[in-house]
Amino acid sequence: MRDENKNAEPLTILDFQHPLLQDRRHFIKTFVIGGIAVTLGGMIVPRTWAQDDSKPPEYSMILVDFNKCTGCRTCETACAQYNHKVNLNGETLPGLGNPNLANIRVFSFNPDVDVPVVCVMCKDNPCIEACPVGPDEENRKALYRDPKTLAIKCNMERCIGCGSCARACETQRVGAIVPNPETNKPERMCTLCDGDPQCVKYCPYGALTHIKGNWIDNRHHALSAEKIAEELAIRWYGLQQGGGEEK
Amino acid sequence: MKKISGYHGVVLNVNLSSGEIYKKEIDPKDLRDYIGGRGLGIKLLWDALLEPGMDPLSPDNPLFFMPGPFSGFPFPSASRTCVVTKSPVTSPKKSKYKYASTIAYSNMGGFFGPEIRFAGYDGMMIQGKADHPVYLYVHDDQVEIRDATKFWGMGTDAFDRAFTDELGDRRFQTCYIGPAGENRVPFACIINTAARAAGRAGTGCVMGSKNLKAVAVRGSGMPDVAQHKEFLTLLEESRQGFQGTEDTLDWRRYGTGSALIGASDNGVQAVKNYREGTFEHIDKIGGFAARRAVWQRDFACYVCPLGCKKSGRAPLDPYAGMVHDGPEYETGTMLGANLLIENMSGMMKAIWHGDDLGLDIISAGNVIGFLMEAYEKKHIDRQFLDGIDLKWGSVDGTIQMLKKIAYQEGVGRLAARGVHLLAEKIGQNSHKYAIHCKGHALAAWNCHASPTQSLCYATSNRGACHLNGHSARTQNRTALIDSTGVCLFARSGYRENGISDIMEAISKRNWTSDEYKMAGERIFNLEKLFNYREGFRREDDVVADRFFEEPLTIGPKKGAVLDRDAFEKRMDGYYEDRGWDIKTTRPSQKRLKTLGLA
Repeated sequence: MRDENKNAEPLTILDFQHPLLQDRRHFIKTFVIGGIAVTLGGMIVPRTWAQDDSKPPEYSMILVDFNKCTGCRTCETACAQYNHKVNLNGETLPGLGNPNLANIRVFSFNPDVDVPVVCVMCKDNPCIEACPVGPDEENRKALYRDPKTLAIKCNMERCIGCGSCARACETQRVGAIVPNPETNKPERMCTLCDGDPQCVKYCPYGALTHIKGNWIDNRHHALSAEKIAEELAIRWYGLQQGGGEEK
Repeated sequence: MKKISGYHGVVLNVNLSSGEIYKKEIDPKDLRDYIGGRGLGIKLLWDALLEPGMDPLSPDNPLFFMPGPFSGFPFPSASRTCVVTKSPVTSPKKSKYKYASTIAYSNMGGFFGPEIRFAGYDGMMIQGKADHPVYLYVHDDQVEIRDATKFWGMGTDAFDRAFTDELGDRRFQTCYIGPAGENRVPFACIINTAARAAGRAGTGCVMGSKNLKAVAVRGSGMPDVAQHKEFLTLLEESRQGFQGTEDTLDWRRYGTGSALIGASDNGVQAVKNYREGTFEHIDKIGGFAARRAVWQRDFACYVCPLGCKKSGRAPLDPYAGMVHDGPEYETGTMLGANLLIENMSGMMKAIWHGDDLGLDIISAGNVIGFLMEAYEKKHIDRQFLDGIDLKWGSVDGTIQMLKKIAYQEGVGRLAARGVHLLAEKIGQNSHKYAIHCKGHALAAWNCHASPTQSLCYATSNRGACHLNGHSARTQNRTALIDSTGVCLFARSGYRENGISDIMEAISKRNWTSDEYKMAGERIFNLEKLFNYREGFRREDDVVADRFFEEPLTIGPKKGAVLDRDAFEKRMDGYYEDRGWDIKTTRPSQKRLKTLGLA
């Protein structure tokens, strides 16, 4: 069902054994949910991976390997530390890592599946499409792409707090963008930490990768955490969400 | 004394009888001297219960949920919550108080403790008793006691999902009781994330006695720290310190499940109601088998690089498709080797039932092992067991017993009281194989071949405890770590004095590492004072006759048995070490003065 889009970039699949398993039976191939690769004892590399260094700017995003994610939320703390720095005696320092400020957020399910949710840098950016604020002299709406990183940014002065972007993300994509509870202006867009994503750097399990290149752009791109958890519960445990025991 | 950094300085107080909810400031001296978690919990309990002998199930018994000063900060494995209350499980041999019991503390992993801190509290104190089932809702400053009537009776697995729907927000952290806690089984536990448990010491029973089904917490804040730069340096250092070490990789590979085979091979596992130390079929239920056939994925608590929690799917009929976490060492031994259960899938099913019912699986496996032995020895018959054919290795019999206990039906009513009272009822010298200390069931480590293990059990302040520590020194260290919010499993991942250095960066007490060690000793001694006041004496610091009288008959430690004189001598040495009176175990005035307790 996930191959019907002919525009999807072909993927190179590398078979790769789960480091903890010696059993050949557990050689399982990769499957892909939209822009997020779900690798089962596997690893996925897009064909366009870092082919061309001379042609900035380049799309890049945080790829989650659900096989390795343990739901520890270290990514949240690293994200919050970098993106919410503090000023101490005139010096700017990383924060203490309050996960509630993070742009990446892990959602936990029963049976055990953990789904980190982070902006997946949709090529067709429905969030920007939804922004009703007219373009400024640089041809930017209130929500726009950073010319260097291509990450989604918000001009808070021009933003009218209508919440359209968050709604578009929530209903059409992963729900990474969240309106601020007070101002209703968008928050939690991934900044890619100036090219060195801290969530990737500090994930103790190597579950996150900073993928560069032209990322796939199809209508299965960026499923919600609920949908992903549903897929994985079936795949890992043979279960719909819910049901430790048939009653 | 002025406010200490690294703390909010307040505990959320909730009275379920009156509906009163308020923030109570904690004396900064208490924060300083008792750290948090287990230590601060016992101090607040001590202050709340001015007289000994209170009924642990009375509304006045406070139930504490205590994170520590590490909780909420991203230091590796700072994920624990310590639940503290007066124990509904333990009792001394003699006391003038009808309801004499020890303190109870029980640690759980997960995400709950950090969330309490995000919500703006250093702990929660719940007193009183609601007149109908309720749950406590905490969203930062918004705290409400809400109706939980529709949830009463639900197993923890189904409730976990239903509660998430009720709250409408997956970012809430919750903990709750199952039918066992509702029905006040003394060894009922508190569960979170449908599998992690504050298993020991009967905390779920106290929660049930308050008609409190669940607590839900979500917060957005965080306390400040004393030394920001040092904090960052130590954070980087400790994160790196865990990466790629053999220790870390071992936890990830097998969790505590690796000990199933290790302990059996060393003759120190609880097998056949502690009769033996080695299980011949351990390979069928051990970590290797689980990794190969059961475990699907690894999971971790908050900011933990160890990932020792394993979730999987039972492969064998008739239990195939059963999805749950484990086995880990304790669950795999107590509902596996100790009952001679060798069917991995059946064992997982039993573990699921134990968790779903909200039972402490250690105590439950212990009491079922006792019944299996009594049944085999014909000290009880099938009628006594309400018709259950409780043979060694019976998965179905075990599951039926778990249900009987949780619902307090028939034989379950008796079994729920624990092995010591069962033995009293059965007589016929069955107390010799009733494996408890102070009424609290022993855990999955056997004593025959491990004299220090017997000391660990006998001297624990919550009744038999396998994590207590094998000497005064290690016990003090454990008390300190349990008070910080850091997981005991992570202790060796921190460098020497790492924990106390981080404490200084967070709170700046200007303490040396020795003063931190002394805090551990202070906490342990205050617990001891509590128990002493209730009437616990040296005669209560014992382990079952079995370990002295019945040598192991199989395995590498065949013939091993404890020597009574050596045991008593070891205990003498221990009390001397502690500065306690050898006859009564009363802590000396001198030692208490040094610790600031007198």
